[in-house]
Order: sequence, then C-alpha cells, then structure tokens
Amino acid sequence: MSAALVVRDLGLSYGSTPVLAGIDLDVAPGESVALLGPSGSGKTSLLYAVAGFLAPAAGTISLDGRIVSTSDRQMPPERRGVAMVFQHYALWPHLTALETVAYPVRRSGQPRAEAHARALRLLALMGVSELADRRPAELSGGEQQRIGIARALAREARLLLLDEPTAHLDAPLRAALVAELAEQQRRSGAAALWATHDVTEALAVADRVAVLRDGRFVQVGTPRELYECPLDLWTARLTGPASMLTLDVIESGGDRARVRVDGTEVALALASPVGVASGMTDVCVRPDWADLDGGLAASVTALWYRGPHTDYRLATSAGELELRLPGAPRVGVGARVGWRLNRGWALPDRGQP
Amino acid sequence: MADGLRHLGVGRALALLVVAASFGIAIAWPLARLAIETLGSGLGPFRAALQPEGVEAIGNSLVVAVLVTVLALGGGMALALLTEHAIVPARGPLLAVILAPLLVPDYVSALGWTRAFGPAGLLDRLTGLELPGLYGPVGIVVVLAAGAVPLAYVLIVGGMRTRAEPDLTRAARMSGADGITALRTVSLPLLWPVIAAAGGLIFATAMNAFGTPAVLGRPAGFATMTTRIYGDLAFSSADAAFERVLGLGFLLVAVVVVAVLLTGRLGPALAERGSIGGPVGQLRPARRLPIALAWGFVLFTVGVPLLALLLTALTRAVGLPPLPENLTFANFGRAIDSRTVPALLNSLVLAGLAAMICLALGAVAVLAPNPAWRRRGGWLVTLGFAVPGSVLAIGTLLAFGRSLRDTLLIILIAYVAKLWALGERPIAAAVGRLSAAGAHAARIHGADAWTELRTVTLPLLVPTFAAAGLLVFIFALHEVTISILLYGPRTATLAVAILNLQQLGDPTVTTALAVLLTLLLVACGIPLLFLHRVLAASLRA
Repeated sequence: MSAALVVRDLGLSYGSTPVLAGIDLDVAPGESVALLGPSGSGKTSLLYAVAGFLAPAAGTISLDGRIVSTSDRQMPPERRGVAMVFQHYALWPHLTALETVAYPVRRSGQPRAEAHARALRLLALMGVSELADRRPAELSGGEQQRIGIARALAREARLLLLDEPTAHLDAPLRAALVAELAEQQRRSGAAALWATHDVTEALAVADRVAVLRDGRFVQVGTPRELYECPLDLWTARLTGPASMLTLDVIESGGDRARVRVDGTEVALALASPVGVASGMTDVCVRPDWADLDGGLAASVTALWYRGPHTDYRLATSAGELELRLPGAPRVGVGARVGWRLNRGWALPDRGQP
Repeated sequence: MADGLRHLGVGRALALLVVAASFGIAIAWPLARLAIETLGSGLGPFRAALQPEGVEAIGNSLVVAVLVTVLALGGGMALALLTEHAIVPARGPLLAVILAPLLVPDYVSALGWTRAFGPAGLLDRLTGLELPGLYGPVGIVVVLAAGAVPLAYVLIVGGMRTRAEPDLTRAARMSGADGITALRTVSLPLLWPVIAAAGGLIFATAMNAFGTPAVLGRPAGFATMTTRIYGDLAFSSADAAFERVLGLGFLLVAVVVVAVLLTGRLGPALAERGSIGGPVGQLRPARRLPIALAWGFVLFTVGVPLLALLLTALTRAVGLPPLPENLTFANFGRAIDSRTVPALLNSLVLAGLAAMICLALGAVAVLAPNPAWRRRGGWLVTLGFAVPGSVLAIGTLLAFGRSLRDTLLIILIAYVAKLWALGERPIAAAVGRLSAAGAHAARIHGADAWTELRTVTLPLLVPTFAAAGLLVFIFALHEVTISILLYGPRTATLAVAILNLQQLGDPTVTTALAVLLTLLLVACGIPLLFLHRVLAASLRA
C-alpha cells in the first residue's frame, strides 16, 4: 500500500511572505503524525495545503500515490478524499447536527435516508445522539466539536486533518476529547495529520511528531525521540520541561559518562549523536532524570504541589534544575537537600534558541 | 455619585423629548397629513391613480424595480463571491471602483450613460454602436441596476463577514462538495436573510428612484410613479392631477413599506454595512476570467460613463470629437453663473444643516436608556428612510406648505425625515458594539456618568460620528427627488439645477455641472474610506 500522504520539498507563501519552506513528510496508512509548533509556525498552512485550500509555491503533495498539488496544478479539495476537523468547529449554523453529519454522506451520492441513518450511527458513536436535532447555536463547544468529528468520520477518508481540534475547549474536556478522537481515528484506520501547540497532546496521541519552527521542520521523530533526544534548546523547551546544566565531563563512551559536579564524581547515562567531548558541556536534563536523596548538594528555591506529583526548583552548582517527583512535597522552600543525576542529553545543536 | 446620576437623568429626558418632537415634526405629522388627506377624501385619489395613465406608471415602476432588484443582487453576489472567496490582485482599487457608484448620484450616472452609450455618445463615435433602448425602460433598468450593484455588494459582503464564511465553505469542500454545491448548500442558505433584506432595500430604492427615470424616461414618454407624481405636481394645477398625486403617493409608500417589511430586518442590514473586518488570507487566488469580467463590468458601468461625462464637459461644443484642439475648461466657467452659484450654496447649506441635525438626533442613541429603546427608535427612523422621497415631499408640503412654501426650511424638514436613519443607524450600531466593561471600568475608577460619557464612550465614537455625518452630507448633496418637488424660485439645489438644465438642452454645461457635483461628492467620500478603517480598528479593540 502506498503512503497515505507524501509531501516533497513543499514551499508556500502568502504574497511575498514565505510561510513554509523545504517541507518533506511521509505519513503511512493508519499512522498518526502530530505537527507541533507555536502559533504562526505554519501548522494550519501545511494542513490547508494538503486539503487543497492553498496552492504551494514549490514542491508536490501526493495522496495515496497520486500527485494532488504542484505549484501550477491543484486537485480541488472535494476530490482529494481527505476529511478535516476545524479549530473553530466550522459547523453550519443553518443545519442540525444530523444534517451536518449526513452532509458528507449525501455528497458521496447516498440517498437521504441512508445518509441520515449513517449520521445517526456516527452521532451515537460520538455519544451525542440526543443532539441530532440541535443547531450549533444550541450546543456547547465540546458538543460542537463532537459533531465536527462525526462529520469528519462520515467522510470515510484515508487521511484526517486535525487543525488544533481541542484548542478552544476547557482542560478536562480537552483530555477526554483528545482520547476519544485518537481512539476513533485508530478504529477508522485513517491516517491523521494532527496540528497542535500542546506538547502533552502531541506526545500522547502521535506515532511520530514533526516539530515546526518558522515554516520549517526542525526535527521529526517518535514522541520518545523528541522527548529524550531533542536536537536543540528550542526543541527541548518546546517538547517538555527542560533544564540546562553545565557539567564537567571527565570521560565518556557509548551512552555512559562520568562527570564532575561540585567536586564529586558521578556516573550517568549521557549521550549525543555527535559524541560527548571531555570538558565543560551543556547538558539537557528532563525533570524525571534526576532525583532527591543523593550525594550532590542543592537548595530548594520553589516548589509547586500538583496533586499526583510535585515540581521542585533546585539551585545547584551546575545551574538551575527543575525536578518532578511523585507525591506531596517532601521538603519546604529554602531547605538544603541532597540530589542525584541519573541521566542527561548533550544537545547536538548548540545554536541559540 | 447619586448627584451625577440625577443630572444625567434630567439631560437625558430633555434630549429624548427633543428627539420625539423632531420625529413628530419631520416624519409623523407629514405622513399623517398625507394619510388624512388621501383617505379623508374618499376613493377619489385611488380612482384617479387607477386610471390608465396611473396604472401604466404603477406597472412600469413595479417591472423596473423587480428587474433592477434581480440584476443588482446577481451582480452584487457575483462580485462578493469573487472578492471574499478568492485572492484578487489589486483588491483595493477594484473595491474602490465597485463602490464608486455609491457616491455618484443616479441622474449623473444616467447623464453619463447617455453620453457614453447613447446616440452621438462616446461608443457611437468610436464604433458606430449605441445601446438600443437606452432612452426608455431598458436604459432605466440597466442604469439603476448598475447603480444598485454596490449597495447589494456591500450588504452581502457584510453578511458574509459576520460569519466565519471561508471556514464554513471549507468544511463543505472537505465533506466532498464541489464549489457550486458548497455555494448552493452552505453559502446561499446562510446569506438568505441578508439577500432578502438587500433585495427589499434595492427594490425600495428603485421604486423611489426619480433622477434616472427623469433623464432617460421622459424623452421616451416612459413614466414611472415618481416621474408621474412630479409631472402632475409641477406642471398641472388641476384638482384631478393633485388627487392622482395623493393616490399614487399613497400606493407607492404602501408598496415600498410592504416590500421592506416582507424582506425584514432592514434596520440590522443597514447597520451591518461593512462594519466588521472579515478574515482574509488563507484563500485561493481567483481565476483570470472572473477577474477580467469584474473589471470589465465596473469599467463598462462606471468608468466609461464617467469618462464620457468628463469628455463632454471638456469639449467646446456638442458633436465635436474630444480631440486636444476641441478641449476647453470654458464650460465650467459657463456652468458657474447667477443661477447655479446660489443653487450650490443652497445645497451646501442644506447638506450641512441636515448632517448636523441628523448627527445630533442620532447621538441621542448613546443616551437611550436601554437597547430595546434604541432598537424601536431605530425602526421608527428607518421608516423615514424607507418612505419614498416623493411621498415625504408631498406629506411635508401638505403639513407645512401653507407657511413654509418655497423656503429652505421645508426642504430641510423633509431631508431630516429622509436622512435621520443614516445618522442614527451607524451610531446606534457602534454603541451596540461598545463593550460595557469600558464604561464600568471608568465608573469604578472614579468617573461620574457624564465624565464617563465624555472621556470614554464619546471618544470611542468620534470616527463613527464623522462617518455618519459625512454619509448624511453626501446623501443630502445627492438628493433630487424631494428638492425637485419642494424648491421655490430662490431655493433650487444644485441637483435641481442640473436636472432643469438637462431638460433645457446644452449638454456641455449640464455635464460640466454634473462633473463639479461629482467631484464635490468624491471629495466628501474619500475621508469616508479612511474613517472606515479607523472605525473598524477602534471597534475591534
């Protein structure tokens, strides 16, 4: 089976302003790829180019092995067989939920009765059967987006485009809808291209994450690769909490190293694709890569109790360190504590963020 | 604090009293007099109106208005789809040319069309072709429709922008609908209320039109209700003729009011006029053919007639080709004589006073105690705008003719009745969009009611006031339907002077005067463009 989506050297601009450049991306059938980036990084533009709403300035887009976009030829959106869930829901104010979900079925040539029956099944699947006769004005944001998702599923597309589908929902609702959306996407067997600026969402739902910055991919990889091996400081900060410590590397080999902190020698997991040189090195440390109760000295400068876990900020001789540990706070602010470093990641690209 | 509230209460009561009195004088009493006069004299006026000549005029008016409505809506819709659903190169200039006819009075357009496409017009001279039937119903429909396209365009675009239109259309395309299906199943159904309201407004405007039927219809012996009313009132002193005026006037207002009520929501539609900055970008570039068609349309309906008008005004004598050796500014000198200068002054004084009064009356919208009052008040003054100018003029004549005949004041009263809504609607709309939080913040931080009004609410409304005032000024400068029925020996307006000159003959002087008026209007219109931007920005913030 050919890839659901292949993007090659895609460039895009609004007038003379470039928005995307040199984008290469392959999405396998059934695969879920998250586009992670801050607002203005080009996520929506990329989705719109795949959907056929924007013509590329350069490069090609292929769906199921067929070229659908080049800089001078465009297949119209309705013939691409992709579905989309919109950030602002984009429900039609004059149609009921049932008519809305039946709409794509009707467009595929089904008679009204069949379309309505299928729409009802999809509404039931999304748990909103009772809303069938309501119009968008009578629905909450979460309900509207459930209808929006049902409409996209009704398209029976091989590729789902999700444009920050939960950006405008409250946090608890968001988590529930994200889980459901991911579940429905997996069940439908469609591939998904999922734009988001929320890293927890991207890491949780995607098979792979593509990090967008100023219209270019800076790194593409599995969620674990992104979290454990970010390419540079900017990506490290985007893909989760990250502290930067300056360590004196004595010796390194494979993915282990011995370093000196505070005059104490410590062994830890430390790797980098370009190798770790001896001497003073900047090392990225995730909050779960260190622990309290160790031989190194630090003081607690701040802490935040978050229920299941507690975040600590430590002042160490190697720099400021964010630490996350399960349970309630074990010490108070200002306390002198001992800590332990288990793991680090030497950023291969030391460029400024 | 309580002190401040009480002062505002007294001031507010006084202001509302003035507004109510103005409404009574300018709108209610004249219309009541017309109703009393018409209905009080039995069936005479209707019998007079329903004689063959009257029936013919009624039929002509209805056919013309229906055709104009259909054509203008089609044109406005096509242009709106082009500029709102696609990226158009040179969008700014295209919009300016599409909207330009809003500034040009219809009788000036009609003059331009005769100079461009009529016998011995520009087209005739260059290619030997002329537009068949320009003098008569075809010409009237075409010119009125071309003039109404910008109105349809503005209203439809306003309607599109109040919703997240592009996203809704995209959702349809993502669901498998092609462009036409998306238009049919999503864009059009959502726009129906706006289209209906725009249709009602355009139908009313076409029914009320006087200048174009006067310029293009009378030479062909084609009369509409408005030109028949004018003919009967101006050229006949027979009682039967006046009865017919009453009957036709009453029927005209009935048709227009019913049309406006049926299509509903005239008020919101007026207030909505291009008031919201819509989402642009994220669209596809337009195809070449629609762009070419749009430019062709505006050049043909706006550019060529205005060019022909200008060339005629600059040519030494009618019939000479517009070559360098035949060009002259002398026509402008001849146009400015002892009749037209007072007429110009009359127009400026009337427009200035009308603008100030309508603004002052509209400003009371800020004081109206609650939105429901504002809405009802808005509905009432919109009635004045919807009533045909000829009918307002007859009513004003019946109400004040005995004491004020042939004065500027009687024209001013009718102008206020007609243009009040243009001052009030934008202000009321802006007030409606102001967030109460700003006012609350001022009060909580120590401003009393008047200080809050002076330091927060009014400054935010300044651009709106300026725009509304200019709008009234421009429409008053345009106006001919009312003034031609109410002017006396010393109170002719510039528009009346142009129409009278046009009936008498010399096209070069007439067109020169028309060009002067148009330049004046454009000069007033340009600030509107800038104000519009300020307006959108200040209200978005």
